[in-house]
Amino acid sequence: MPTSTDLLQGTVDVLILQTLAAGPMHGWAVAQRIQQVSKDVLQIGQGSLYPALHRLEYKGWIQSDWGNSENNRRAKFYELTETGRKQLETELETWTRLSEAIGLVLGRFPEATA
Amino acid sequence: MNDTLKRLRFLLRQTLLRRRRQSELDDELQFHVDKAIEAKLAAGMTAEEARRLALVEFGGMERTREECHQQRPGWWMGTMVQDVRYALRGFRRNPVFTVAVIATLALGIGATTAVFSVVDRILFRSLPYAQDDRIVSLGTVHSLEKQEFMMGGFFFDWRDNQKPFVSMASQGTMPHACDLVENNPAQLDCLYFDAGFLPLLGISPVLGRNFLPEEDRPNGPRVVLISYGLWQGHYNQDPGMIGRSIDIEGNPARVVGVLPKDFQFPTLQTADVIFPFALNRAAQATANSGFGTPMRTFARLKPGVSIAQAREEMEPLFVHTRDTFIPPDVRKDIRLSIRSLRDRETQDVQLTAWILLGSVLAVLLIACANVGSLMMARGEARERELAVRSALGASRTRLIRQTLTEATLLSLAGAALGLALAEGLLRVFLDLAPTGIPFLQRAGLDLRIACFTVFLSLVCGVLFGLLPALQTPRVVALAARAAKSRKRTVLRRGLVVGQIAVSMVLLSGSALLYRSFQNVEDQRLGMQTGGVFTLQIALPWYRYNTGQTVMDFYLRADAALRRLPGIRAVAISDSVPPGGWQGGGRYADLAVSGRPLPTPGMGGVVVTRKVTPDYFKALNIPIVRGRNFTDEDRHSGETMLILSRLLADRLFPGEDPIGKHIHSPRSTAVSTVVGVAENVKNGGLLEPDEPEIYTLRRSAADDWGQRAPVMIVDSVLSPKAATPWVRSQIAKLDPTVPITVETLNEQVSKLADRPRFETALLGFFAFCGLLMAVIGLYGVIAFVAAQRTQEIGVRMALGATRMNILRLIAGEGLRLIAVGGILGLGAALGTARLLKSLLYNVGPHDPGTYAAATLLLALVALAATLIPARAAMKVEPVVALRYE
Repeated sequence: MPTSTDLLQGTVDVLILQTLAAGPMHGWAVAQRIQQVSKDVLQIGQGSLYPALHRLEYKGWIQSDWGNSENNRRAKFYELTETGRKQLETELETWTRLSEAIGLVLGRFPEATA
Repeated sequence: MNDTLKRLRFLLRQTLLRRRRQSELDDELQFHVDKAIEAKLAAGMTAEEARRLALVEFGGMERTREECHQQRPGWWMGTMVQDVRYALRGFRRNPVFTVAVIATLALGIGATTAVFSVVDRILFRSLPYAQDDRIVSLGTVHSLEKQEFMMGGFFFDWRDNQKPFVSMASQGTMPHACDLVENNPAQLDCLYFDAGFLPLLGISPVLGRNFLPEEDRPNGPRVVLISYGLWQGHYNQDPGMIGRSIDIEGNPARVVGVLPKDFQFPTLQTADVIFPFALNRAAQATANSGFGTPMRTFARLKPGVSIAQAREEMEPLFVHTRDTFIPPDVRKDIRLSIRSLRDRETQDVQLTAWILLGSVLAVLLIACANVGSLMMARGEARERELAVRSALGASRTRLIRQTLTEATLLSLAGAALGLALAEGLLRVFLDLAPTGIPFLQRAGLDLRIACFTVFLSLVCGVLFGLLPALQTPRVVALAARAAKSRKRTVLRRGLVVGQIAVSMVLLSGSALLYRSFQNVEDQRLGMQTGGVFTLQIALPWYRYNTGQTVMDFYLRADAALRRLPGIRAVAISDSVPPGGWQGGGRYADLAVSGRPLPTPGMGGVVVTRKVTPDYFKALNIPIVRGRNFTDEDRHSGETMLILSRLLADRLFPGEDPIGKHIHSPRSTAVSTVVGVAENVKNGGLLEPDEPEIYTLRRSAADDWGQRAPVMIVDSVLSPKAATPWVRSQIAKLDPTVPITVETLNEQVSKLADRPRFETALLGFFAFCGLLMAVIGLYGVIAFVAAQRTQEIGVRMALGATRMNILRLIAGEGLRLIAVGGILGLGAALGTARLLKSLLYNVGPHDPGTYAAATLLLALVALAATLIPARAAMKVEPVVALRYE
């Protein structure tokens, strides 16, 4: 595992919650979707994906059910719970604030030295 | 709502359906892989290639599975259960190791806890008084009375002129029997103390109040304090007890207070009813021919004043008292003494307590070394297993946790067994213990010390258990021929040497005590004890208050007992050898007519006994010169004496003592020596004999007024058979008096209780220590032998005889024994001086005893070495070469 696990963990959680906000899907689909949406920049290996899914489920933010996949195979589908939805909102707010702050620092940095 | 239900079902299923959970996870991960393969096929790869790439991308399946499990809250509890089961399986596979560790722990914990519970009260626990370390016992001592005492004649002088104390208070010297005369009569113990006594100790009554100053003076109101025991047992904790009148020996007394439940007198005496001492200076100046009432005095030191300072400051007062108050002939013999209350209460038991504590700590030390040694041996044996588990992906923390779990399980099992053992040992101690050890009957298991010992054994188990686990399992360990760590073997050897040394100390100490105990048991008493029993009759004071009434009672009892069948002799004395209370005088008080007076304060103590003529017959003490007292002598006006041979030889060296006259330096009334009796052991079992003087107990009231007589009966019947007869005879004379019958053998055996107790305990510890040391030694030698199996094979193949091999392995053990034994012998010789005062007729450096102890240790240790060495010798070279 890379040393930045902690930082990544929080990020992965938000990405998964946001992805699941679109509707129930199984693990593979979550990974694919994140990859597609991020234009192949973000690739989540199963090594972090499944522990994260399980963690979120234990926290009660998502819940799972076995269902049939597109080609009729049994698969585990995850969906956002009410709490998860609220949590996503908070996380998004935090994320926005954080990225704005980072953006500010990064954007203003040259000005300050000038 | 729906969410909540679903979540509950999920958590429940996750918790209960473990297997289902695992297979679901497997399905989920498999689905992911299949999807990846599908995607790769769709991208145009071959089936083979797609599958391979998908699996590579996926990475460690097992690891993901592990990590998913670890997301579960409290997942580690599951692994703990796993660890425990694994540990238990390991223990079952290796029962010898498990039993050895648990037994060692149990022994160490049990013995330490039990002994500490006993000595704690003697050595460490504070006495039940406010700021107990500031209270002292003070007074004068002399050769006949070694406990501080004071006389009413100078108490007031000291109390009013002293400087080092906040306060001083006194109690009576001895509780006396007193009768509670009520509907429900009882014989009680009564005692006196003054109004300042309880405040000095910092005690207040649980009910009512202490004596008022106006009650504590002569002819004050008749008031009493009663003990909690009396209040509870006799009056059913009557809350209206205060102010009630109780009848003590025919006189009503008003109860003003009840003492606390756990109250104990600083003299450790017991009393049910306490009267005010009611002393006053004027009365004391004339009472008891000017000496005043004898008393025990206690004082509380002023803040910052030490006992040594107090002694210094009291010295002038004492010197003044001595020079004005004490008769000149005993002045030299009398000293001032101030001791802390703890010293007063525990007396000479402190040394025994320290020795017990020391030896039990030695046992604990050996036990810890043993556990350490065993854990290390196990760790080494499992090095390969640990390496395998580590290679299979077990993390280091997991391995360490596993070791911790094992150590904890062993310690807990050892602790549980140890506490049970401690409880049992404590009972044995209480049974075995002599009556003289204070507080013993109150001793209970001390939980603090139990926790401490459990903790200690846990630490040593964990510490030594972790040593191998802490090292990263080496890859070499995986290779079959593991080069075992030399360093740890050195540590184990060191532990064994230490164990042998410590058990050598214990062994020689207990051998010394055993020799001394044998000497005590085997010594000649100079009298017969078989078939003899003593009879003590507690005549109530108020009905038998003159010498005449006492004499009448005893003479009738004497006559009645003589009539019984099977009784050979009946004698009356005031004391019975070899120990216990006996009358005493000073050698310097024996002046021989026609010679200059003896030097005051010289010559020590002489035992005195007031006996009827049959005394010598009942105890079978031969009269070696002159004659015995006769019945006619009892009515003569002359006073007659029989001297012990020791005294006769000292007073009349080379002369015939018969017919000589002896008198006190203070008077001219002479007594005549009529005979010399053989020496009898009379200073207790452990002290040297004292010279002894027998005076005739005549049939005159004057000879019966002092100390309560004791009857000595020599019977052909067993004491058990004779007792009912004796009791019925006494009951015919007075049906109410309590009687105590005790055989002389019991009394003598009781005197040996103390050395027996010390010997048994130390012997037990030495045995435990030796046993554990031998187990440790055996373990190391067996381990070394196993380690060198291959080497042995090579040696044998090269022509070494089996004898050579035996010598090789046994030599290893012999070196450990020799080093440990020599170290131990040195330590034993160094510490033996501590035992000196406990030893009887054997020196602390007695060569025979040390030789015996060394031999025993050497033999047992040698046996422990020879067993594995012989096993090594019998190894077939071919097998040994293929070993591992």
